[in-house]
Amino acid sequence: MAPAALMDSVLARLDWAPMSDTPGVPDADLEADIEADLRVAAAPVGADELRSLFEQQALPFMDQLYAAAMRMTRNPADASDLVQETYVKAFQAFRQFQQGTNLKAWLYRIQTNTFINSYRKNQRNPYQGTIDDLEDWQLGGAESVTQHTSTRSAEAEAIDHLPDSAVKDALQSIPEDFRLAVYFADVEGFSYQEIADIMKTPVGTVMSRLHRGRRLLRERLADYAAERGIAVPPPRTRSKG
Amino acid sequence: MTDCGCDKAKAELEEFLHHELRAPDAADVAEHLANCVDCTHEHAVGVVLTAAVKRACSETAPEELRAEVLLKIRELRAAM
Repeated sequence: MAPAALMDSVLARLDWAPMSDTPGVPDADLEADIEADLRVAAAPVGADELRSLFEQQALPFMDQLYAAAMRMTRNPADASDLVQETYVKAFQAFRQFQQGTNLKAWLYRIQTNTFINSYRKNQRNPYQGTIDDLEDWQLGGAESVTQHTSTRSAEAEAIDHLPDSAVKDALQSIPEDFRLAVYFADVEGFSYQEIADIMKTPVGTVMSRLHRGRRLLRERLADYAAERGIAVPPPRTRSKG
Repeated sequence: MTDCGCDKAKAELEEFLHHELRAPDAADVAEHLANCVDCTHEHAVGVVLTAAVKRACSETAPEELRAEVLLKIRELRAAM
């Protein structure tokens, strides 16, 4: 059996919907596949088939999971451990994964959970658990920023030219829950509802974390640019235009 | 000057950026942006910020990690 047909028959036996239709498959082939499926329909899904399905579907997300793990743990060794643990857990639970639903979000949920339960415990963070309740001034942030149009276009210009290292440093400097919300939304493009599911928090909290995280990030980047003489006015300038 | 809708637009810019607004609300914000230089600049900062974060966060998993994960999965399968 061709790999694609094998995969279809595995999916059929699991009572899963295929991820997508294969375009341009001649009807004869399709009927042959269906017959093949019927012949093997009684057999349970083997461990080898499950493994190959997992490898095919889940492994392509490794770069993304690793990038997220780097933002979570802040160092390559812990990031690698976290990703490995995530894949082990995901494989062990893979029979329960509902095919056709969002595998990437499912993997991120496992990784975020694993991170919070095993890694975050070991980190000393005085704000943990109460970060959402803190006022902006306690986070070193400013009140809402009002600037002239000209300064904002300079700000966009400056952010656009900052080195990646500056952006990474700024991300690492903001509270973890804010950082993760920003990461999930801006890097991965998850919807607010998906982020809420991954972080196990209400959508309103996601929005607040995103908003505060992005604002802090923006301030830190403006500070960075100002320190290096990149033409951006201080971020806390409050001049009513 | 009457209210040009800046308050509402500014309040919703982040959701607009993340495609979280329902179509009619998104259309309202887009229409306001077309007519307001100030909000357009504010939106541009948001867009650039997202792009900068995306760019900075790109990583490639180390080859050793890929090999370790494959090995682990095959060990687990063998133990099934």
